[in-house]
Formats: sequence, structure tokens, C-alpha cells
Amino acid sequence: MSLKYLKEAVANNDTEKLIRYVRLHFGDGNEAAGRKEIDKAWMEALKLLLDVPATDREIILQTLADRDAATLAHLFFHLHFYFVQRSGEWIHDGQL
Amino acid sequence: MTDNSEATVQLRPGLWATVNKRYPGSMIHKDDYIPLAKLRKPLGEARLSFVSTAGVQPVGIMPFDTVHPIGDYTFRRVPSDAKPADLKIHQLKYPTTGALRDLNVIFPIERLQEFAREGVIGGLTENFFSFIGYNMDAERLERTLAESIAEQVVAECADAVLLAPA
Repeated sequence: MSLKYLKEAVANNDTEKLIRYVRLHFGDGNEAAGRKEIDKAWMEALKLLLDVPATDREIILQTLADRDAATLAHLFFHLHFYFVQRSGEWIHDGQL
Repeated sequence: MTDNSEATVQLRPGLWATVNKRYPGSMIHKDDYIPLAKLRKPLGEARLSFVSTAGVQPVGIMPFDTVHPIGDYTFRRVPSDAKPADLKIHQLKYPTTGALRDLNVIFPIERLQEFAREGVIGGLTENFFSFIGYNMDAERLERTLAESIAEQVVAECADAVLLAPA
């Protein structure tokens, strides 16, 4: 796959190609593994909130309001890997 | 300096066709050739530079962007006299177990330092260059990253460059 491939998918609203790419990215080329990685990140995030701890909503809302969408999208990818790493189940060959 | 007189000789004919066949969706189309360059002086007199896709960088600076879905198109200078302990790997796409034990398996900086001391090569450029190989935009990689590194290599008066993919 390439950027051109992804842009064509966006232009054609080919959501299957796009989500497949995201899964392949998170799964190091393995789509099934990528799907599990996405689930793993969300479960890890959920576990942290089960006891309803105090969180810094002010900074969350401020960040969402102040930052551009591309920066937030980049942050989204960072958060995925943050929670995957935090889960302790690291499938990747390398390191962040 | 190197001799580009055979610049029209293709290093690997059909390279991009092979890439596109192995990796459907790569969609890389190039009609021009990869220029070859002849070494104009003996290796023992040549100043060598090193370009690596291993994601190796000095400790304590902005790490490579290993999470970006389209890749990181920046490079890092790695002082050629650095010790492995001064360096760190930031990448997600190749096994690092061996490299974490001995960085030279992926980034042979100490071997190149030895070659320079022993006179196998004439010397090393002040810096080596490193980036991460995960890049989805081949055109941008060629147009910006590769061009920038090439300029730096020339600025450091390299006679030859060792290219090493990770």
C-alpha cells in the first residue's frame, strides 16, 4: 500500500480499504492482529476509568478546543500505542 | 568525488515492477534510472559516510515518529565517533532483540570506526545519517528526505556512502 492507494480510497469512500490499512499498521502487517490491538487499546483505556478516578477534563477540553484536527489525529495514534504499551502485551518487534 | 558517467545504467532493471508485484498497492511508478557512481579514489583514501534506515539516533533528542500512519520523513545526524551507549533505536517494524544486545548488527558504527583506524577506509564523515524505513509516500521520501540526506552527505565531503536498510 502507499499514500496514493490511501488517497484513492478516501476519494472513493472505500472505508474497507482504509480500516484495513489501519489494522495492518497496528498489527505490523497482520490485519487480525491489528484488530486485536485496537480492542486492546480501548480495553486498557476503559479499565483505567472503571473506578471513575479524578481526571483533568480541563486540559482535555482545552486541548480539543485549541489544537488543530491533524494534531489531535496524531495524538490519537500516539494514544493507541500508549495504551497498548501500558497493557503489557507488546506485539511489536521494535520500540516507540 | 564520484563519476556519474554511467548514470543511465539501471542498478536493478525492473526494480519497481518487482516492488509493486510483491506489495500490491505500492503504486510506485518511475521511468527514470537509479544512477550509479564510480569511486574515484582507493577505498583506503576515501572518506566514508553511512546512511541507515534503522531508526538509530542520539539519546535525548526528539525521537523518530514511530506511530504516524504515513511515516516520518525526517532524519537524524549520528556523530560518527559516537558509542553505542550514546545511541537509541526508535522504530516498530523490525526485530531489535539482537540490535539491543549489539547495535552493530544493524548499525555497524564500531566496525566502521575500526576500519577507519586500521586504514581500510580513508576516514569517516563527521556525521552519519539515520531515518526510519516505514514511509508510505515514496515520492515524498525521494523528494525531501533522500534529497536532504544527499545534500548533507555532499556537504560532509563524502567520497563514498554505505547504505544499509534495516
